Amino acid sequence: MMAAFIAAASSLSASEPEETLLRPVTAAYTIEAGSSHLADTYLSPIRYTGWSLGAGYSRMQAMKFSPEKWVMAFDTRVAAERTLNRVGNATMWYWGLDLHWAMMRRVRPASGITVGFGAGAGLKAGCLYSQRNGNNPASAKAALTIDLTGYVAWNTRVGRLPLTLTYRPSIPLTGVFFAPDYGELYYEIYLGNHSGLARMAWWGNYFALDHMMAVDLHLGTTSLRIGYSGQFLSTKASDITSRMARHCAVVGVTGEWLSVSPRKKISPKARMIHALYE
Amino acid sequence: MHFMNKYTVSAIAAASVAVASMMSACHELPDYDNSAEGNFDALWTLVDEHYCFFADKDIDWKETGDMYRSQIRPGMSSKSLFAVMSAMLDELRDGHVNLSAPFATSYYRKWWSDYPHNYDERIIQQNYFDFGYTSLGMADYGVLLANVGYLRWPTFDSSLGPGNIDHILASFSMTCGLIIDIRDNGGGQVSNANDLVAHFITETITGGYIYHKSGPGHNDFSEPYPVKIEPVGNGHVVWTKPVVVLTNRGTFSAANYFTAVMKQLPNVTVAGSVTGGGCGMPVSYELPNGWGIRLSSSPLIDSQGNLTENGVSPTEGCDVAMDPMAAFNGRDTMLDFAIDYIVALASR
Repeated sequence: MMAAFIAAASSLSASEPEETLLRPVTAAYTIEAGSSHLADTYLSPIRYTGWSLGAGYSRMQAMKFSPEKWVMAFDTRVAAERTLNRVGNATMWYWGLDLHWAMMRRVRPASGITVGFGAGAGLKAGCLYSQRNGNNPASAKAALTIDLTGYVAWNTRVGRLPLTLTYRPSIPLTGVFFAPDYGELYYEIYLGNHSGLARMAWWGNYFALDHMMAVDLHLGTTSLRIGYSGQFLSTKASDITSRMARHCAVVGVTGEWLSVSPRKKISPKARMIHALYE
Repeated sequence: MHFMNKYTVSAIAAASVAVASMMSACHELPDYDNSAEGNFDALWTLVDEHYCFFADKDIDWKETGDMYRSQIRPGMSSKSLFAVMSAMLDELRDGHVNLSAPFATSYYRKWWSDYPHNYDERIIQQNYFDFGYTSLGMADYGVLLANVGYLRWPTFDSSLGPGNIDHILASFSMTCGLIIDIRDNGGGQVSNANDLVAHFITETITGGYIYHKSGPGHNDFSEPYPVKIEPVGNGHVVWTKPVVVLTNRGTFSAANYFTAVMKQLPNVTVAGSVTGGGCGMPVSYELPNGWGIRLSSSPLIDSQGNLTENGVSPTEGCDVAMDPMAAFNGRDTMLDFAIDYIVALASR
C-alpha cells in the first residue's frame, strides 16, 4: 500500500567525521465521515445539510536544508458530500479535491511538545451540483492560495501506550479564486466570456479554515490515527455568497517510512530526525 | 516554563485572531422562514434580484409585490399560497417563469393562448405526405410534390448529429429549396439551435448577444457578449439554396432564437406569424418550502441588438396565418405560402 519514498539519508563528505541524518516520512492514510453544510446563492438561497465522506493522505518530513528546524507537509483530500434542503425534496452534491503543501519552522518549547508555524500553497478544486436547477446546475470551486499554517504536536504516553496529539490548522491568506459574475451562466463562460472569473482572495471575500485534531496511537510499527477534521469556506464575490462547512471523524493509519538504498549502508552513527513523532 | 508561557500566549492569541476572523468572515446568507410570509418574501426577492426584463416590460415590481403581499395570510393553505404567488408571477408576462410545487406548476400562457394556433401537424402528415415522410430522431422530413424539401424540427431539447443532418439535407439535393417548420417548437438548448444553423452558413457569424445580471439591481447588466456560430466542419453538407423558416406563436425560446439567427441569412425567409419570444435564458432557484422557481435571467438578443422577448416578426410580406376553412379542407395555407414562395424564387 505504501509507496516508496525518496532516500532520506543525507551524508557528509567522507573526509569529515560523518553524522548521517535520516529523515523519515511521517505518512497518514485516512478516511473521513461526518456532516456537511452547504449554501451557495448562485444555486439556491436555501441551506443544505447532509453527509460527507472523504479520504486523505498526508506526509510530513524534516527538510533537508535544516532538518532540526524545518519540516515540510503535504496534504491531499478528496471529498464527496450529499446534502438535502430544508424540506428534503432537493439534493445538492459536492465533489472536491484539496492539495496543500507547506514549510514550517518548528520549535520545542517543552519536552514532548513541538510547535510549528509557516506558510504554504493550497489548491482547491471542486463543484457544487444542484439536481433541480436547469441553466445554473453547478457552482465550481477553484482556488490557488497562499496559506498560513501551523501545528502543535505533543508526544506523550497514556500508561504504556505512546501517543501523539496533533492539532493542525491552515488558513488561506491570499490567492486567486474562481468566481463568475452575479447572474453569469456557465454557458456564457463556455462561449468564451472569461473576463473577471479570477478574483484576488483576501479575508473579506474568501475565508477558509482547514483544521484537524488527531491522536496517533503508536500500537506498533504503524499507528492508529483517530480524530476530527473540519473545513470551513465562506466566500462572497459578485453578490454571490457561498458557505461550506464539514465536520468529520477521522480514522486512519500512520507510520514513519524510510527509503534506503541496498547499495548504501546506513552509518552506525546515523541520526534520525523525525517530522512529527519522537 | 517561561518559554512555555510565551508560546502558550502566542498560540492563544493566534487562535483568538483566527476565530475572530472566521466569525467576521462569515458572509451573510439570506434567511427566510418556511411560512407563508417567508416563502412569499423569498419568491419576491429572488425575482426582484434576478429577473432581467423589469425595465423592458415596464413592471413596477415593488408595487406588484405590495399588491399580492396583502393577500398573504399566516397559515394559509399551500394551494392558496400557490395561487397568489402564481398570479404575481403572471404579472411578468413571461413564458419562462414557472413556480413548481408538488401539486402544480404555474405557467403564463397568454403569450400563446391569445393568438391563433396556426399549426396542425396531422394536416401535413396526411395531406402533404400521405404519411410517407421519413423520421429521424425527433425530426421528420420529406420532399413535397412541388419539389421542395420539408423538414419538421419540433424541439431543440435534443438534436441530431451533423452526419444525420447531412443525410437529411442530401435527400433534398434535387429540390429547389427547403422549408424548415419550427411551428410549436417550444425551444430547448441554444447550442442545439446553433448546431442546426451551422449547416446553413459558410463563415462564422454572430448569432446574437448574451448578457447577464451583474448585480441585484434591476438595471445591473453586463456588457453583451457575442454568440459566435461556426459553419459545420469540412465534409459536411452546407445548404445554400433558398430556405423558408415557418413560425407560429408557439415558436418559443431557443426556437425564437433560431428564427432570429436564420432571419439574418441572405437565403433565408421567415414566414408565418410572429414567434412567441422568450429570449431570457432562465435560471432556477427554490423557496424555503421546497417549491422551485424558474425565471428569465440572461437576455439573448439578436445580432442587431434587438430584444426578441416579444417575438421575431416574419420577413416583410411573409406574415401569413392558417386559414381555418382551408385547414378544414386539409390545406395548410402557411405551408402553401412557403412552397409557393420557394417555387417563385426558383423560377426567377
